[in-house]
Formats: sequence, C-alpha cells, structure tokens
Amino acid sequence: MLLGLGVAAALLPVLVPDQPYAVQVLTLSLCSVVPAVGLNLLFGYTGLVSLGHMGFAGVGAYAAALLMKQAGWGFLPALVAGAGMAGIVGLLVGIPCLRLRSHFFIIVTLAVGLILGTLFNNLDWLTGGAEGLPGVPRPRPLLIGELRIVLGTAVGFYWMAVAVTVAAFVVQWAVVRSPFGKSLAAIRQDEAMAAARGVNVFAHKLAVFALSAAIAGAGGALRACFLRVAAPSSFDLGESINLVAVVILGGAGFQAGPAVGSLVFVALPEVLRVASQARLMVFGALLVVMALYSPRGLLGAAVALRRRMRRADAV
Amino acid sequence: MAFLEQALNGLMMGSIYALFAVGMVLVFGVMRVLNFAHGVIFMAGGYMCHAVMTHVVAFYPLALLLSAAGGAVIGAVLERLVFRRLRESLPMQIVASLGLILMVQNGVLLLFGPEAVQISVPAMRTVVPLGPLGVTLQQVLIVVVVGVAMAGLHLFLTRSRLGTAMRAASQDLQAARVVGINPDRVFALTFALASGLAALGGALLGPLFLVFPAMGDLPLLKGLTAIVLGGMGSVGGAVLGGLAIGVLEAESTLLAPTDYRDLVVFAVLILVLLVRPYGLFGRRLRGEP
Repeated sequence: MLLGLGVAAALLPVLVPDQPYAVQVLTLSLCSVVPAVGLNLLFGYTGLVSLGHMGFAGVGAYAAALLMKQAGWGFLPALVAGAGMAGIVGLLVGIPCLRLRSHFFIIVTLAVGLILGTLFNNLDWLTGGAEGLPGVPRPRPLLIGELRIVLGTAVGFYWMAVAVTVAAFVVQWAVVRSPFGKSLAAIRQDEAMAAARGVNVFAHKLAVFALSAAIAGAGGALRACFLRVAAPSSFDLGESINLVAVVILGGAGFQAGPAVGSLVFVALPEVLRVASQARLMVFGALLVVMALYSPRGLLGAAVALRRRMRRADAV
Repeated sequence: MAFLEQALNGLMMGSIYALFAVGMVLVFGVMRVLNFAHGVIFMAGGYMCHAVMTHVVAFYPLALLLSAAGGAVIGAVLERLVFRRLRESLPMQIVASLGLILMVQNGVLLLFGPEAVQISVPAMRTVVPLGPLGVTLQQVLIVVVVGVAMAGLHLFLTRSRLGTAMRAASQDLQAARVVGINPDRVFALTFALASGLAALGGALLGPLFLVFPAMGDLPLLKGLTAIVLGGMGSVGGAVLGGLAIGVLEAESTLLAPTDYRDLVVFAVLILVLLVRPYGLFGRRLRGEP
C-alpha cells in the first residue's frame, strides 16, 4: 500500500500537469508527513506521547538552513546533518526526561518544545529571532553521471520531497519489522513485562526517542528549504500539537497513518474553504467526533469497517 | 524594592495560575482526565464577563459571579458530552481538547471579532498604597477573591458530603461505588466546579489585561506546569506550584530579558523533576519504578 502511495505521489505531476497550487499544497503536506513519521514511531509504536516534537524539527531546520546559507552545503548533506543534530538534541533531552512516568513525561516534552521555541525566537545572533533565517538557497541540480535532475523548480522540489518522505517511511518500515521494533511494541503493551523478559526499556526508549527526533529534524529541514526560510512560527507549540493530531487522525501505529492523517489535516480545511469563517470550527467538531467514535484514527476505522463487511459476507 | 514589587506582581499572577491549576488537578485527580481545553474556558470567562458588563448591568461583582456560573455550565456540558467517555485514553483527550479549542476560539472570533475587548471597571484602577509600593485595587481583588475561593474549596472538599464524595472517588472509584457514590454525578460536579474556577480566573484577569481569543493559552501552560510541580494529584501542591511559578517568572524579569521568562519557568520545572521525579508533593504509586 505504501509503495503504491509513493508511486502515485511521484507520478501525480506527470498525470495531472499544470496544477501549481496542488503541487504546492502537496509539498507542504509532505513537509509535515516526515515529522509525523517520527512521532508515529515514538507514539504509535512505543506509546510515548511527545507534545514538543516540532521543536526537534526546528533544530533540524535551523541547522540545515545555517549550513546551506553560511557554509554553502548542498541540500542533501545539510538535511542529513540537520537530522543528526536533531537526533543529538533528542538524545540529550531524552536522557533525563525518559525516566519520568507518563503524565510527567508528556508535560516535560511540552516544556522542552516551549524552551526550544523560545530559543528560536530570541537567540537573534544564531536564529535571526522572530524573523527567522530567510533566503535559504534552492537546492542545486542533482548530477548522476550524465543525468541532470533539476530540483529548484516547484515540481522538482516536490519530487525530492517525495523521495525524502519515502526514505522516512522505509526507515519506519525497517524499524517496525526489526527485533528492535518488536521490543518497542512489547514496551508499549506492558513495560514491566518487557523489562522482565530482558528488554532494556530505558535504552530502547532513548534510542527510539533520538531516532524519532532525527526524523522530525529531517522534516524540519525539508520545510525550511521549501519555504526558503527557517522561522520560529513553523516550529511552535501549536504546530507540535497539530502534529500529534495528525498522527492520531491518520491512525497511530499504522505504517501509512502519518500520510493519511497529514493529507486529511491539510486537505480538509482546503476543501471546507467554501465556508471560510466556520471551517476551523467544523474541523474542530470533526476532531471531537473522531476522538469519541474512532479512537484508532481513520485507518483504524477503515480496518474495523472492512472486518465488519467481511463478516457480513460470510453470513 | 524592585524585588518586592515583582514579588507582589508574581503573587497576583500566581494566584490566577493557582486558581487555574486547582481546577485541572481536581479533574485529573477524580477523572484521570487532562483537559487541555481548560484554557478556552478561562478565555470564555473573560468574554462572558465582558458581555454581562456591556449588555446586562455594569456591576463587576455580579459579572464575576455570572461568569463563574456560566463556566460551570459549560464544564458540565463538556463533561457529559465529551470527557466522560474519554476517561481511559489520554491521546484522545488531547485530540478532543484540540478540537474544542479550535471550535471555541474560532467561535469567539466569529462572535466578537479578532480585536481584543476591554472590560472597563474604573473603580478598580484606584491605587492602594501598600507601604512604599502602590498596587491597584484590581490586583488586591484578585488575590482576595482567589484566597476566598481556595478557602471555600477547602471547606467544601473536607466538610461537605459532596466534597467528601469527590475525594473518595479520586482515591478509589471502585470503593466509592460500593459505598453508594454515583460516579457520573461526581464527575459532572468536578468538571463544573473546575470550569467555574477557570472562568472566574478569566473574568478576574480581564480588566487588568485585555480579553482576546488566545488569552487562555499561557495560563494553560503555567497551570500544567503548576500541577506537575505539585505532584499531579495534590490540590495543595497545585496551589503552591501556581504561586511559585507566578513569583518565579516575575522575579526572573529582574535577571534576564522578559522574553526568557517562560524559559526560566520550564527549565526550573525540568530541574525539579530531575531531583524529584514525582513533583514536589507527589508520591510514588504502587508498582511504579
């Protein structure tokens, strides 16, 4: 299913040409799919809620923007370095915070997100303050032998965003299938039991927290490069909470959850634009209804529906 | 002198945070629900106060009472329709709260427009001399009203049958049922009480600052910090946590730029949790690491 989604996403501009607006909206939603994949690993597969994850995305964004603007790095190395930087910050934050029990941990992640946001907003010499870092250069064309892929145009950047997103999903897929991923699932289901069976709970949580922060950082770098600015408003508390909503809306713990949630989260307000004033109210009401009736998100509802239809067929 | 002045300011904001945090910790203690939409009820309190003052009668004490009552009604409705069914799932509480925040904030935008409104109570701007310092009557009123509300809450929780039922439900819901307490009534009451206190806070802060759709966001963050500092489950801890945060953030402006005020508060939270992982007054529960 994921493979199909990826191919469809890559072919979209070819099949439906001359839709610059749709390409922009899709690229922007891909920029939130990548951090959502990171959060899905943490929340959906390990059961840890982080309310400050866009802070880590911000670390990746600022690191990549600084490297590209001031050190003249290319886009891909800067993206990898930004992800690494976010992973390191995640590691440093995780060491003290992951020892706390669940509700305390959640509020502390909120505090970490706020602290990072305050730093982005006020460390003027490094992050440019409230204005952010404008003028992030467009990625240079990619040369593979004779082949020259232009990434500077809207469609070119879209393809690259698809590539980065697919890479994030591949990482998620590999982690979930690995023994490491199985241990994470054991931790989510019963921490004491997992510990009793010999899983080093703290080390596993720390590793997945750092990995999840690194993926979020890659997403942040992607967004900074697409918007051509690393600005604090892209990585504030509201964005962090929206990210949690995206993951839960799609279906936490489903591999395709982040893609589905993100598309709906970005596309639905666009569709509801007819009633522009009330659309966010309608959207809020939908979130409440979902929380009440579909606790496993859209994919969870789809799975339940399919199961019911199968059972009806059998009868 | 500046130190004392900031301590007074901090005490004033701190009592607002305490009022806010007490509601959150009551709801959490009794229902295990973290209501992130507590901030929009606070904001709704400010708007209700404004509406009463401009459309009904310009008598501030009455407007305060009506706002608190309105908040209680909103709280009871939210509990019945939404949060009673989400007691088991923290992530869903977050999603539902986010939905409620979107609905209420945008509803207020539609009704009142994007500009901040002002609750004007000229009498409350009188400066009261307090030794060498001067504070406005409104600041005094905030501290006094919050103090009275806290004392009333304490009496209610310890002396009345309903309050005792609430404490029983928070300690052991199963056992509370056995002795004939109806949990649904206790939940509704708790939510109404908490929301009434939040709305009262918004109505109290309104004349001092402005009333605008996002006015509940900062109290929400500080309130969450206060209940975590207090140990998540202790009403007294939440009050002390709220006051401590108010004073801390006010004093921090003497040492660092105002922009770093929130950073100081959250950094202190993390430091405290490093030393005391269950908060200042929290206890380790059975079976926890």
